[in-house]
Amino acid sequence: MAGVWILAENLEQSIELLTIGLQLAGEIGTDLAAISWQPETADDLIAHGVDEVILLPPLTAGQALEAYIPAIVERAQIDQPEVFLIASTLKGKELAARIASRLDAGLGSECQTLCWDAGRKSLVIERLVYGGTGVQKVCCLGRPQMATIPPRTFEPAPCLTGRDGRITQLNVSPFSPVTVLEKKAREHQTRDITKARVVVCVGRGMEKPEDLEKARELAGLIGGEVGCTRPISEEMHWMPEDTCIGLSGKTIKADLYIGLGVSGQIQHLTGIRDTRIICIVNKDENAPIFAAADYGIVGDLYQVLPGLIEEIKQVKA
Amino acid sequence: MDFKLTEEQELVRQNMREFAKTYVDPIAAEIDENSRYPEEVIKRLSAMGWMGMPYPSEYGGAGTDYVTYAIAVEELSKSCAATGFTMSVHTGLAAGPIFYYGNEEQKKKYGAPLCNGGALGAFAFTEPGAGTDVGAATTTADKDGDAYILNGTKTFTSNGPNADTYVVFALTDKAAGASKGLSAFIIPKGTPGLRVGEHFKKMGIRASQTSEIILKDCRIPKENLLGQEGIGLKIAMGSFDHGRIGIAAQAVGIAQAALDESISYAKQRVQFGKPISKNQAIQWMIADMATEVQAGRFMYMYAAWLKDQGLPFAKEAAMAKLWCAEMCNRHASKAVQIHGGYGYCKGFKVERLLRDAKITEIYEGTSEAQRMVIAGNVLR
Amino acid sequence: MPNILSCFKWVIDEAYIKTGPSLKLDMNFVDYKISDYDKNAIEEGVLLQEKFGGSVAVITVGKPEDTKGLKDALSRGPEKAYFVNDTSFSDLEPSQTASLMAEAIHDRIPFDIILCGEGSSDLYAQQVGPRLAEKLDIPCICYASKIQVQDNQVLVERKVDDGLEVVQAPMPVLITVSPDINIPRIPGLKDTLGASKKPVIEIAGSELNAVSARLETIETRAASLERSGRKFSGDQAGIKALVEALLKEGAI
Repeated sequence: MAGVWILAENLEQSIELLTIGLQLAGEIGTDLAAISWQPETADDLIAHGVDEVILLPPLTAGQALEAYIPAIVERAQIDQPEVFLIASTLKGKELAARIASRLDAGLGSECQTLCWDAGRKSLVIERLVYGGTGVQKVCCLGRPQMATIPPRTFEPAPCLTGRDGRITQLNVSPFSPVTVLEKKAREHQTRDITKARVVVCVGRGMEKPEDLEKARELAGLIGGEVGCTRPISEEMHWMPEDTCIGLSGKTIKADLYIGLGVSGQIQHLTGIRDTRIICIVNKDENAPIFAAADYGIVGDLYQVLPGLIEEIKQVKA
Repeated sequence: MDFKLTEEQELVRQNMREFAKTYVDPIAAEIDENSRYPEEVIKRLSAMGWMGMPYPSEYGGAGTDYVTYAIAVEELSKSCAATGFTMSVHTGLAAGPIFYYGNEEQKKKYGAPLCNGGALGAFAFTEPGAGTDVGAATTTADKDGDAYILNGTKTFTSNGPNADTYVVFALTDKAAGASKGLSAFIIPKGTPGLRVGEHFKKMGIRASQTSEIILKDCRIPKENLLGQEGIGLKIAMGSFDHGRIGIAAQAVGIAQAALDESISYAKQRVQFGKPISKNQAIQWMIADMATEVQAGRFMYMYAAWLKDQGLPFAKEAAMAKLWCAEMCNRHASKAVQIHGGYGYCKGFKVERLLRDAKITEIYEGTSEAQRMVIAGNVLR
Repeated sequence: MPNILSCFKWVIDEAYIKTGPSLKLDMNFVDYKISDYDKNAIEEGVLLQEKFGGSVAVITVGKPEDTKGLKDALSRGPEKAYFVNDTSFSDLEPSQTASLMAEAIHDRIPFDIILCGEGSSDLYAQQVGPRLAEKLDIPCICYASKIQVQDNQVLVERKVDDGLEVVQAPMPVLITVSPDINIPRIPGLKDTLGASKKPVIEIAGSELNAVSARLETIETRAASLERSGRKFSGDQAGIKALVEALLKEGAI
């Protein structure tokens, strides 16, 4: 029986989980199983290192993923995995906490780093606390040891040819008292800023929604996407919520971040900390974001932004 | 001996801070620049119960002690000294006389709207020729049947252009002079014969509106007399006594803002390759500021506490007002110094703080008048 | 007419945490606050009560001295507070908080809807809400952005990874709210002063079963975000210098 489990909610993130999952399985000396409800991904999962795909039956109309909780818990009680890793999507975080509760397991949420401590025989996890001010190092007591892991924390596991794995079909009936009546797609479909190489981020320094055009122009010029701080999406509603960067929004790992009129609340900085180069424009020389930036322009963004666009155009030409 | 605020007082501070951060910070520079009365903020303060804090709940007040009230003034003034002063002069000087000297009818009719009805109060005492020298007052109130007819000009009336209710001082007995012949009256806005002058263009606290009040054959019913004839000076001096606690708290608010701005700037501003906060010259300035802000806070809180205990507090209120006013001027100036050229320019809060600070040494009794009060007390 | 129970946590205000030498967190001068996300849960409880009637109370687990948080919470509109407290209730990890709260609620507190914030501002583990639902064995709906009560059901719009879902569940139910569900009110003066007069029902730790931790904190240190912070002026020369620097870095 597999001692390391991953919850394979979506293929891309599952393959990232496999990188750390396989490493842990190697150190513990056990197999790796993926819990999936998508038979079409089973071969891919196996090719990337999964030994066993535990396949759940499809959901019926009105059911959502939480309907799998009883079946997953039941199986975990039988298989007794050592480690159970879940991607920290919205659904993943909910499922992880509920499964952990039923299994009476410890769960490290949104782990930045993850390693096996052979001495403790335990996962040692690092995660951000106090709005990104602190890093907490924890280990799970009891079994299984659970963790949720943000997207892009680990590189995807390589695809290996000629791997074999088994598929175990579970014969269960998913159930949840919560019924889905309607699904609505996001109002504004935007490209995923977590994958953008360059992110131009607008903050409170922007005075009106029309001015976003200039930010878009800059982003377009250097092949980037436009993101925003929480007030812009949540209070002003100028930008869709999935472009909001920060602790409770998206975490980016871009090559370049350009902040326009961003003051730099710690919660926002936490969302950009893994960016290679942070560059900001802010007229307030005291804005905290200067301390967290590689480059900064002290100036009115309404004067700097057009100048910046012009300069980049000239350089490109 | 207990220096700890109660949980309620801490929450009052927190919620006023939250209010000021949300509604006052975003407009503070603009209302200063345009010398605009922030009516929307004052109305909201009133609706949320902040405009009649120390007065009884049966009249719409909140029945807080004076310590709690002064804390709220400090917090509001930290964001905008002019808004803090509008609240303080309204509460201490305008509503104060009505609640301390008014009868039941007056408290209901004029006091309650000042507490939670969105009405604003003003206190018309100073005259063009009678500032600190109150004896030189010339405004008269002549008895005419069931009414008084007021004539004269008041100046530097804070909240003058926007007030709904004025507390006005006039001589009912010229021969007796101010000490025995001055009386206080309540005059609602719109009373025929009451004219409000243009608001003055001031150096600081520009969002607080100040004007002349011109009384020309202004006829008011005798029911609007506060207390009885001849106790006007007592009412005014009593009002100044507790009003000064509010000004001391306002001054501490300004000084605290100057300190906060200086700390944040000094940590960020890099010269000679390091933040200027690493320089001893700056560190000592900031240490002095922090120390004196703390001392000032203790002074106004002590005066407020004495008042809450029913003990004499006039001397301590004057000391707090005198010292906090001079202290906040020292530190607003130091804050500009720490900011260098930037601090001298519009757009940096410390520039406004320095202009706002000056008035605390002038109004509700100049520093010199405070020294007179204090000397009178200690040389008795 | 639902009985609503909003959960909150009294946390260190991260704005007061300083970084000491060698990345030590300096907690010497910290102040406390109601976890930001829990303010949304309290506000939503009050809004639902205003709209659909019933009652609204708050519950928290903490140390006996954390009474300021109760007053703060009560000043935001709820009628009463349940205070699960014990001197040992500091630095609890999410599974402990959820277990203690579940036991305190079970058999003691009537409820139809339990509201939680999406996470706490200190640990932000986002576990207590869903764990509490499991311990109480009631339906759980996470990341709600709109809540309605209909007969004995709740109708909730919740955020999911690819959009929104409108879901329905029978009461009693636990819902975690997303921070955009409302803007928490700033309590007025009378609400602030009136909070002390509202009832607080204490549930002592000694009345509850001891719960052992499922996570052990090995250490907590400061996160370093410092970067070089090279500053340029806002004029043409400054912009030119910045673009040159970015080109050199290979960033554009």
